[in-house]
Formats: sequence, C-alpha cells, structure tokens
Amino acid sequence: MADAAHLGVKGVSKRYGAATVLESIDLDMARGELVTLLGPSGCGKTTLLRVIAGLVRADTGTLSLAGRDVTRMPPYRRNVGVVFQSYALFPHLDVAGNVAFGLNLKRLPKAEIEAKVRRVLALVHLEALAERPIRALSGGQQQRVALARALAVEPSVVLFDEALSALDRKLREAMQVELRQLLTSIGATAVFVTHDQEEALTMSDRIAVMHRGRIDQLADPRTLYDRPATSFALSFVGQSFRLSGRVVASEPGLSVIDTAAGQLRAPKQFLTGSDVIVATRPEHAHLGHATLGPGDNSLAGTVSNVTFQGPRSLVEVRIGDAFLTVQMPGRSAAPPIGSEVTVGWPIAETLIFPAEGEP
Amino acid sequence: MKTAALILSAVLAVAACVFLLAPLVVVVLASFSPTPVFDLPTTGASLRWYGRIANLEGFWPALGLSIEVAAVSTALALVVGTLAAIAAVRGALPYADAFAALLVSPLMMPGLVLGIALLQYFRAVGFDAPLAGLLVAHLIVTLPYVARTMIAGLSRFDFTLIDAALTLGCTWRQAIFKVMVPALAPSFLIAGLFAFLASFDNYPVSIFLTDVRTKTLPIKMLQYIEEAPDPTIAAVSSLILLGTIVLLIIADRAVGLSRMAGTSD
Repeated sequence: MADAAHLGVKGVSKRYGAATVLESIDLDMARGELVTLLGPSGCGKTTLLRVIAGLVRADTGTLSLAGRDVTRMPPYRRNVGVVFQSYALFPHLDVAGNVAFGLNLKRLPKAEIEAKVRRVLALVHLEALAERPIRALSGGQQQRVALARALAVEPSVVLFDEALSALDRKLREAMQVELRQLLTSIGATAVFVTHDQEEALTMSDRIAVMHRGRIDQLADPRTLYDRPATSFALSFVGQSFRLSGRVVASEPGLSVIDTAAGQLRAPKQFLTGSDVIVATRPEHAHLGHATLGPGDNSLAGTVSNVTFQGPRSLVEVRIGDAFLTVQMPGRSAAPPIGSEVTVGWPIAETLIFPAEGEP
Repeated sequence: MKTAALILSAVLAVAACVFLLAPLVVVVLASFSPTPVFDLPTTGASLRWYGRIANLEGFWPALGLSIEVAAVSTALALVVGTLAAIAAVRGALPYADAFAALLVSPLMMPGLVLGIALLQYFRAVGFDAPLAGLLVAHLIVTLPYVARTMIAGLSRFDFTLIDAALTLGCTWRQAIFKVMVPALAPSFLIAGLFAFLASFDNYPVSIFLTDVRTKTLPIKMLQYIEEAPDPTIAAVSSLILLGTIVLLIIADRAVGLSRMAGTSD
C-alpha cells in the first residue's frame, strides 16, 4: 500500500503550543496525480504543504516520496519543487539565473544546465526574457519564472502554495487551464494549496477538503460536489440550500426529517431522534406543484427576489429562515415577488448530515 | 499663484544647497591658493599645498590609523549590527521596538558625552589599550548606522527566499550565503559606507580615547590648524572630499543614490 503511493502521508500531526494545526493526516498520491488541499485560512493546508516540502517537521507520522522515506530528510535533499505565493524569486539574479539556481547546486555541466534552462523557459513561454532582471517582470511573468524554477530540477512533486492567488482574475483563470495542461503533459505530480474552490475544481484530479487540521473528504471533484461527506465540505464547495431538523422516522435507505419549514425525506438511514442537516444543490430545485413527482421533496415558500439574467432567471425563495435560489429559463414567466410558491427537488438529490460539531 | 509657489520652492531649494555646499567650495578654493593666507578673489592657482601634505609630520600614520579603525569597526559593526537587526526584525522578541531603538540610540547621544563616558568607564575597569578602546568606541559609533539600515533592509526582505533556496537544494549555510547575503548586498553596501564615513571623520568621541601615539586623522588635522593654519589642511580636506565623492559615485552605480537617501525603496 504505502510503497505503491508516489507521495505517502501517514498519520501526520503538528501542534504549535496548544493549537493543533494538523491532526493525523493521511494522503496517498499516485504518480502524475494533481491533488488540491482546499480549505479556509487556518485549516492547516499550508502547514501540510510545508511538511511535505520539509520546511516544517511533523510531530508524528511518516512521509514517503518516490519510494524513499523522507520523514526526517531536510528539504534540500527531498527533490521537491515549490511555487510560493510571493513567488520568492531571487532579486539579485536574472530570469535564467533563477531558473538555473537549483541546477547549479547539482553541479551539472554548464552546457547541460543551459540546455535545461532553455527547455524549461520554453515550456512557460519565457525564452525571450531569459536575461531580464526580476523586478522588470509583470506578476504573471514572475509566476511563470517561479514555476520554471521549480520544474527545472525535475522534482518528484511540485507544490503550489496559493501560487495563483496574486494574479488578477482573468489571468488566473487562463493560468489554471494552462498550468493543468502543462503539468499533465510533463507527467508531474503536484499538490496545490488554495482556498479558491473554482481553482480546485479546475486543477485537480482529487480534492482534499481540509477543516480544522483534518481532511474532511478526499475525492474527485464530481464526487465532492455531488456527494459531499460532511456538511463543511458541502458548504465550502458550491452553493447549497440547507435546513436543520430532526429525524422522526427511518428505515434502511430512508429518513424522514421534520424541519421548521416542513417534512422532508432523505435517501439515507439516520437514527430516529437525531439532529441533522438536510440540504440540496440549488440546481436540483424546481418551482410549482405541476412539476412535483412522487419521488420529490417539496416545501412551501415566498418569492423574495427575481433576477432576470437573459438566458435564465434567478428566483429567490424564502423558506422558513433559509433562502433557496431556483433557476428558471429566461423565457418562462417568473412568479411575482411576494407570491406563495412550492419548491421541489428529488429525494435522491437530498443530502443529510449529522448536526454535531456544527459551529 | 501656483507658479509663484513653484518659483519660491525652487529658490529655497537652491538657497539650501548653496548654504550646505558653500563652505566646501571655499575649502576647495583655498586648497589651490598660491599664498599661505587665503583671500578672495584669488590671484592664480597652485598645487604647492598638495605637495606639502606628504611631508606633514605624522600624517601617514594618522591616515593609516583612521582607515584601519574605520575599516575594522565597520566590519565588526556589519556583523554585529546585521545579527542584531535580524533579532529585532525576526526574533519575535518581547519589546522588539525598544530593542531596535536602543540599537540606534548612540546616534542621538552627543559624541562628547559618549567619549567622556567611555574614557571614565575604561579607566574604572582598568582597560588600558588605546587602539582597542578606540575600536570599541567606533563600534558604538558605527553600529547605529548599520543597525538602522539593516533593519530597514530586512523588513523588506522576503524570508520565503530562504525556504525557496532550501527546497532548491541549498543547505542552510548555502541559503544564507547564496541568497540572503547577495539579496541584501545593497543594504550592506549602504550600511558599510555610512558606518565607514561616520568612523573616519569622528572627532568628539576619538579625542578622549587617543594618546600621543594613536591619533586619528581628524584629531591630527585639528592639531595642524592650531599649530600652522596654512592651506595644507584645506588640501587634505579636499582630498577627503574627493574620496567621498568617488565612494558615493561607486555606491550610486551599485545601488542608486535615491535608495541611500531613503527617498525610495
């Protein structure tokens, strides 16, 4: 098991004084896999990245990389590439000097270093800027230099610490797609750290949702979105409509839940009497009695806002003290604000989580 | 209205420059005076006073001592001051601001007070080595310049650069010498230059700590003026001025004068 993984994190914990930053983290990555550590600030994702890089030593647990146990290995012998949030380019060196930095330390022949630098700079489309000083580069160019510098040493794993967050939105989105293609084409194994769910969904084969020093869920983007394992994973990725309630009846594969807004059913058995959170993704919801089938949940609400967006209209419905935004085709008539409506969605698309531990 | 304000500020700027530079101009002019007594307008130019510099009694030892003290105290101050600045910026010390202020405080103390205090202190503890005493005093004089410049330089330094170097294959020692030191080179140069000049022309502290055999150049020069007030000292001053200008030009080429003046980052 462990030796099959290209990057293996086993039971890694880290404490700073009384604060537990990482709590028995397990993460196995295959060679060539792109994994994102996704979570809010303070969830421990950057610390985990720094543990993998060797810049922070874990209190417990083991790390293996490319078939070696690197738990106690200093960063300079691990062969990892890191792209930092601030890029951390060396101001006293030009672009080529930065990219060649790691290669020079390996004492490779000069011609070989030059050839590698040229090749990596071509990979990130910066051949023309090799002689430029760092301060003469734009943010996007600096980002590429940082990437080239990390890739030049042919690391076993490339680590990205919020590496795209300093770019403006348009550039960031273009870079996400390009970076993913680039990393896939050279077969790189990469770990991204981000709090940006779109970046995570775009870039990764699998996403680890981190919360309070733990991995709540490790899954591919589709599973994460459709079947979030915890209510935190649900709320952190994508939009959701959620109500709290109590299970009043249950049988295998079904729970009936009383909420303040009405009775709902969910396709999973929970103990009768337990407090739960019931949720669904807004895109599963539809308006009106006529559309309801036997396999649907339904709730009554009041239209609180309507936004016409051309191809679609967004109808915001107030149900109890929660709001659910339902999409309608732009051409169909939206109900007037203040009108009473019925909202329905399939029981199969209903999610249910235990309420404990909710903030 | 706006033009008037512009003209006024230009006039004031020029006046300030004239006020600051006029004494230097007079000294340089006097050094070329053909007569022992300098008056304006001059009646020709002569290099005779420059020729006499080399023959001034005790000039070479004094110059040598000044350079030696300035160089050694600057070197020591660069090491100690940089380490202290790292502690002030990165050490997460309690009262880090107070510590930084303390480092810079000799700058605000009159040199005279510092000189007398050191003299009495050295006497009291029985420390009787003029050269070493002078070096310690000059270390105190130069340290604030280094500490101030390095604190500023280090607060702008991104310590992630060290992390980057480590992951690229540097050991800790290599990361310091291949990344941190070169990246901070402009700060080192500025700090070193200021420290060297502060030590080289220091009079008020040195005067209390020198004896007959160990006299620095500024002290020797004042002594000459008392003994024989001819333009030889003006010639020496002009040469020191020239040397300083050359240093400044080199520093400007290397890091830019605006950074040294602190008017830009």
